[in-house]
Amino acid sequence: MFATFRLSMAWLHTWFGLVLGYLLMVIFFFGSLSVFDREIDRWAIPQTRFAPQPMPSFDTLLAPIFARMVPEAHELEEARARVGGPLPAELPPLNWGAYTTHRDPVLAMYAEYAVTNNPTDPDDHVHGHITIDPRTGQVLPDDQLKIGSDFFYPLHYSLHLGWKDLGYWVVGFAALVMLAALVSGVVIHRRLFREFFTFRPRKHLQRSTLDLHNLTGVVALPFHFFFALTGLTVFASIYLPVSETMLKPQAQAAAMAEAQGMGLDFKPSGVKAPLASVDAMVREAKRRWAARGMPGEVGYLYVNHVGDRNSYVTLYRAGSDRVTLVGQPIHFDGPSGRVVHEAPPPSLIASVNDFLTGLHLQHFEHWLLRWFYVLGGLTGCACIATGFIFFVEKRKRQHARAGSLGARWADAMAVTAVTGMLLATLSMLVANRLLPADLAQRADWEKGVFWGAWLLAWGHAVARSGPVRQARLSPAWREQCWAAAGFALGAVGLNWATTGDHLLKTLGARYWPVAGMDLVLLVVAGLAATAALTLRRRERAAQPQAAPVLPAEAAHG
Amino acid sequence: MAEAALLALAWGLSACGLAWLALAMESHWQQVRAVDTAPSPRTVRLLRGLGAAALVASLLACLQADHATMAVLVWVMSISGGALLVAFALAWRPRSLAWLAGPLS
Repeated sequence: MFATFRLSMAWLHTWFGLVLGYLLMVIFFFGSLSVFDREIDRWAIPQTRFAPQPMPSFDTLLAPIFARMVPEAHELEEARARVGGPLPAELPPLNWGAYTTHRDPVLAMYAEYAVTNNPTDPDDHVHGHITIDPRTGQVLPDDQLKIGSDFFYPLHYSLHLGWKDLGYWVVGFAALVMLAALVSGVVIHRRLFREFFTFRPRKHLQRSTLDLHNLTGVVALPFHFFFALTGLTVFASIYLPVSETMLKPQAQAAAMAEAQGMGLDFKPSGVKAPLASVDAMVREAKRRWAARGMPGEVGYLYVNHVGDRNSYVTLYRAGSDRVTLVGQPIHFDGPSGRVVHEAPPPSLIASVNDFLTGLHLQHFEHWLLRWFYVLGGLTGCACIATGFIFFVEKRKRQHARAGSLGARWADAMAVTAVTGMLLATLSMLVANRLLPADLAQRADWEKGVFWGAWLLAWGHAVARSGPVRQARLSPAWREQCWAAAGFALGAVGLNWATTGDHLLKTLGARYWPVAGMDLVLLVVAGLAATAALTLRRRERAAQPQAAPVLPAEAAHG
Repeated sequence: MAEAALLALAWGLSACGLAWLALAMESHWQQVRAVDTAPSPRTVRLLRGLGAAALVASLLACLQADHATMAVLVWVMSISGGALLVAFALAWRPRSLAWLAGPLS
């Protein structure tokens, strides 16, 4: 099909890069924001602006709250449809979980409840979840959207396309294409080492864009490669669900054998029994972790077979000083409180898998590495964005002469994917501070503003892309940069006006989640304004050159 | 605080190491020194040696600061971040790297 291997790689890189680039931009950008998802949550939910808290007492605080928890209303609705009739008055809890990290002031609590009257599925169950203030046990209102951890974070791996897990598959495919784009990019790069540090901003746009594309792609190559790869391994069980399909009996047997090997009961006995003191178990777990040379706090607390004689409690250590994910679980027998099993150091393959997963999910406590991750992710965004611009720059004169609309559409889509996405994000933050606190379905309004702003940005990008047909810069880039600068400043101002937490106050109190957000927003405003001014200079400089193209354009009409 | 200082040192060493490796390349040498002569072969060897040594020293500093698994990630990312710093310095303020070449010719 192509004369050389390099040409075929160039074709692959260009076209898959263009089509999947829009998606990869979303994945990289919101992935970068997810590094600081908890901090974005604090900015968006002012009631939770207090210091991170350790796991509170189970016996005195959590147990009564778990006992009062109920399943989600919409899940009950769906369960009724599955059963085809009313559900029992009370659904017994199967298990309870509580999860916190070194960055969480609030505590997330989960529960699973058995749906006992489903004739076709004896394992049918529904979920409940709440978020509490662990200092008082007060349940936080559930219509406050955690913009960071419940919107931006899932957006980067599921695109919020829930139907048949479509989003996961699209993102997985994009990650695969990312790997192919990296390999093909290295193949078609003619002077990878000789131009390793090369960026010539004063050369013409096509040259300097390609320089920046190569630079951002090459210097962060290990980051791009490992994040695309680990993104795939994190969801390997979704992409290759062999343990749910082909090998289900074997997988069940393995899970049972594993539970038996650890002395844990896979099924409840049906005989009721009270739970021993979980606080005592927590003390014992901390003692054992300290004895292994890794003292730490409880990150995840899990009670299985709630209220049954076979119940057990598993305590996971919060993995803040290692890359590897939460670990060193210790299992306790529920009724007696004695240790049943302490997980030995994992096997080599499990360690590698935990390391790769932990590398991507970053539960660790290391602020420099977190910022390096943001840098890596934004470098990826810069690489993709410059790829778009290079695509357009390379073709726009030719398309202008031929009267083709290809470059114009590619450019409008690029504006939407780059500045449009930034505008949607900033609009959501502005809406978060502007919408009344007691508005019904406030979370839905915030999401609506996000998608609506993005759609408007697309409309604007298309409407203003006319000059691309004359091989000139689209003014949409500059106009959306100005809008982004305004929205970023507006968000900082509104945070001050609505909460009183201005920068001098948050910086003085060293409250970094909010101070950091405000500072980043100011930097965004500064960069966007600089970009807008640079674009205006370039547009003006390009005016005379574009003039001769006009008659040709008119001729092709 | 000692950990923060070690990490700052590690990043500084990475950036300097990459700047030396860049200086060992003719085009960047000319940019930084504002000359159109090439560095002597001895200078190129010396710059490459310095660059490699600084990167190794950066890894050692990372290993001092953190658990080994974390240190490797920090080191790799410090090289990415350092390379961007060097590339932007070469693009906009090439003379700012001149001190790293000292009296070499």
